[in-house]
Amino acid sequence: MSFDIFICGVGGQGLVLLTNALGRACLKSGLKAITGEMYGLSQRSGTVSVHMRIGEDAHSPLIPIGGADVLVALEAIEALRYIEYLKKGGLVLMNSRIMHPPVETAGLVKDRSRKYFTLEEAVSRVKRWTSMVAVIDALAAAKEGGNPNAENTVFLGCLSALRGLPLDPAKVKEAISEVVPRGTVEQNLKAFEIGMRRASEALCGYGVCRDLK
Amino acid sequence: MVLKDVVSPNKGKAFMLCNEAIARGAIEADVKVVAFYPGAPTSEILDTFSEALGSFDYQMQIATNEKVALEICAGASFAGLRSLTAMKSVGMNVASDTLFVLGYTGARGGMVVVMADDPHAHSSQSEQDGRFFAPNSYIPMLEPSTAQEAKDMIKEAFSISERHRVPVIVRTVTRVNHQSGVVELEEIRRSGFSRVRWRDLKEEYLTLGEVARRKKLRMIERRGSLEREFEESAFNYILGGDAEVGTGIVTASTAYLHVLEALKVLGISGKVPVLKLGTTYPVPRRLVAGFLKGLRGVVVVEELSPYLETEVTMIAKDENPGLRIFGKRSGHFSEAWELNPDLVAKGLASALAIPYEDKSGIIEEAKALKEGMPERYPTFCPGCPHRGTFAALSQALRALSASGKGYYFANDIGCYSMWVFPPFSKADSSLCMGASVGIANGLSNVIEERVVAVVGDSTFYHAALPAILNAIHNRNKFTLLVLDNSVTAMTGQQPNLSTEFTAGWREGKRIPIEDVCRAAGAEFVEVIDAYQVKENVPVIRRALEHDGLAIVVSRRECALYGDRRKRKRGERITPYYVDKSVCRKPYACIRDVHCPAHEIDGDGQPRISPELCDGCSVCSRMCAFGSIRRSGTEGERR
Repeated sequence: MSFDIFICGVGGQGLVLLTNALGRACLKSGLKAITGEMYGLSQRSGTVSVHMRIGEDAHSPLIPIGGADVLVALEAIEALRYIEYLKKGGLVLMNSRIMHPPVETAGLVKDRSRKYFTLEEAVSRVKRWTSMVAVIDALAAAKEGGNPNAENTVFLGCLSALRGLPLDPAKVKEAISEVVPRGTVEQNLKAFEIGMRRASEALCGYGVCRDLK
Repeated sequence: MVLKDVVSPNKGKAFMLCNEAIARGAIEADVKVVAFYPGAPTSEILDTFSEALGSFDYQMQIATNEKVALEICAGASFAGLRSLTAMKSVGMNVASDTLFVLGYTGARGGMVVVMADDPHAHSSQSEQDGRFFAPNSYIPMLEPSTAQEAKDMIKEAFSISERHRVPVIVRTVTRVNHQSGVVELEEIRRSGFSRVRWRDLKEEYLTLGEVARRKKLRMIERRGSLEREFEESAFNYILGGDAEVGTGIVTASTAYLHVLEALKVLGISGKVPVLKLGTTYPVPRRLVAGFLKGLRGVVVVEELSPYLETEVTMIAKDENPGLRIFGKRSGHFSEAWELNPDLVAKGLASALAIPYEDKSGIIEEAKALKEGMPERYPTFCPGCPHRGTFAALSQALRALSASGKGYYFANDIGCYSMWVFPPFSKADSSLCMGASVGIANGLSNVIEERVVAVVGDSTFYHAALPAILNAIHNRNKFTLLVLDNSVTAMTGQQPNLSTEFTAGWREGKRIPIEDVCRAAGAEFVEVIDAYQVKENVPVIRRALEHDGLAIVVSRRECALYGDRRKRKRGERITPYYVDKSVCRKPYACIRDVHCPAHEIDGDGQPRISPELCDGCSVCSRMCAFGSIRRSGTEGERR
């Protein structure tokens, strides 16, 4: 068996670092890990996705359609964009933040009766795929930790709250300290803790989280 | 990237991107000279070598283009030093003139060429299948599936190269380069770098007429000895299966990993024999023949063209004429786009006649959920100087159209390619590196409209320069915009000829584009600052009306590169904000600009996200009412 995580977001949100921290935590835990990473054409603001697969049984760098145990979306619309990768009834950790793409804003300017695609709309559609959805205000959590750029580590915390993740949260924290820029370690570890708490709160009814001390 | 893992002298394990593992393998193999022109999905190989340059004594150059990079490596190899270059396969199109001759001259020091294909055209202009370079140039080729195998193959490639006195291609695809995994590190034991004496080494590396004819015979012999060696290579192996199944699989590269995944999904892991090929030119025919013997059918699983399928078909013709071959020609797999576990499972299930419910139902269901969801096209980063240049160009082009004259716009390869995508959607053509200027040379003499071409700084030197010189010499009349953002931005902001730095961020001689153009005799050469939108419109208008070649160099460093430099200097990035009491909602800040930091608020007024804004000022210059201001100028801070 493999534990498959599909991670997506917008270019600039730090998916590469998030992936690297998870991979290092796997290495520390003696687990095989393989990824398929897609950065897109533009350096920022485009859609970005990572297939993260943990376990001896994970062969392909790509998760089969409908195969991911968890979908992590650092931006709300992106959760919907890749929903087919999630198992029916799988778990979604999604940001409440929406970054409206320029093409959508251009549409509103052209036709003032048009409306943005809303968070509520994204969440309600995702919920038609699975009931287990945690919507996390990661930007607020990151700011609370002292660094608005730490949305990615907030989600590492969210993931680490899950009992199904075959990694000891202590190992993930160790990996975070190794990959984030020096001087931001403390802020990132704080963001991690906040993320872990927020996911536990959001998912407390489902029995999928570790017991937090 | 975690540099520590790449430069650690000790044995151990690391979680690495394949491109880092490739660099690590070459460093373990004591590579002495590396040279690159960046190109996705290989750019991180260059970046890793550049970062690690301070820890080792290899020589590194970031070259003008892939051809020069290949020649730098060939030069080192002729002198007996180990060398490595990496390029995307469309880069190999540029370098191939030299590659083909290297097939004749051969090499001395181990010479490895990493060539990456991009099935699905994730970040390329075509889905070109670069594997055909190998048989065409008689140069051996290895194909890894994983980061670990890529590292192992790089090391072995140096040995093969030296044993057979020929460069070796290590061919990857995007899903190999951009795959991370756990990689075994071996000890790094480097010998010191020193110059060698050519007079002690001297041998001839030339080919012409009679010499070429003689060498061709040697190349054919060399192919034979390589094939004999590859029959025993550990990179080719058979995963045994149930003989009763009667059908086997031949595969390579990432397709092999998808096959393993698909067999698992189909519940037949270990039941179907699989021949995994790592040496794909020359194909070890005896090994393949032995595998095919006794089979009733074979499924060839590979991406893009039926390259292996053709080899298998030819071998089967002699060894097993009744063999059924499933692959591209039978319609089980497509030549278009990349494979994935689902497509491979579908093709295998059909060939093996076992039940499988494909994923079309689930994909349709997801598609229905996505109705009305906005697309997220690749676009310019917040602060990107191209946004300012194109805002001015748009205004100038509108004026041109209003005066009844039309235009043709030739785009090119670089971050400015993003102008092709919505909401901009502007370009009549975009082909390959530097082609915009070549096209302009042709079009400007045959159409009534004004031709406008654009290239970047890196592209200017890489491939556009010959076409620009052609325009000057032949007195061709068109407008050329050179967008000089100081670095090769699209591939990760590597230094180039327009940067005062070179590999490892060591000092390099910057070559100003306008000096080159003027020295070549261009009469209209203007330099503008990309952010000064209003001031730039009349300059571009003059360039559009000029009766001759008009070159405008729009200069301003790449925002990401600039931000990094600002952070180093301890400077803050101050975002802009909309003063809502002044804004009258004409949306000039959004039209022609389309910055990801801009959104429309609930009250219909624009809002600038302080997390995304880079403080470039371009949107504020578009506002006639002065409603967009720098944070802190009116007491408002982030």
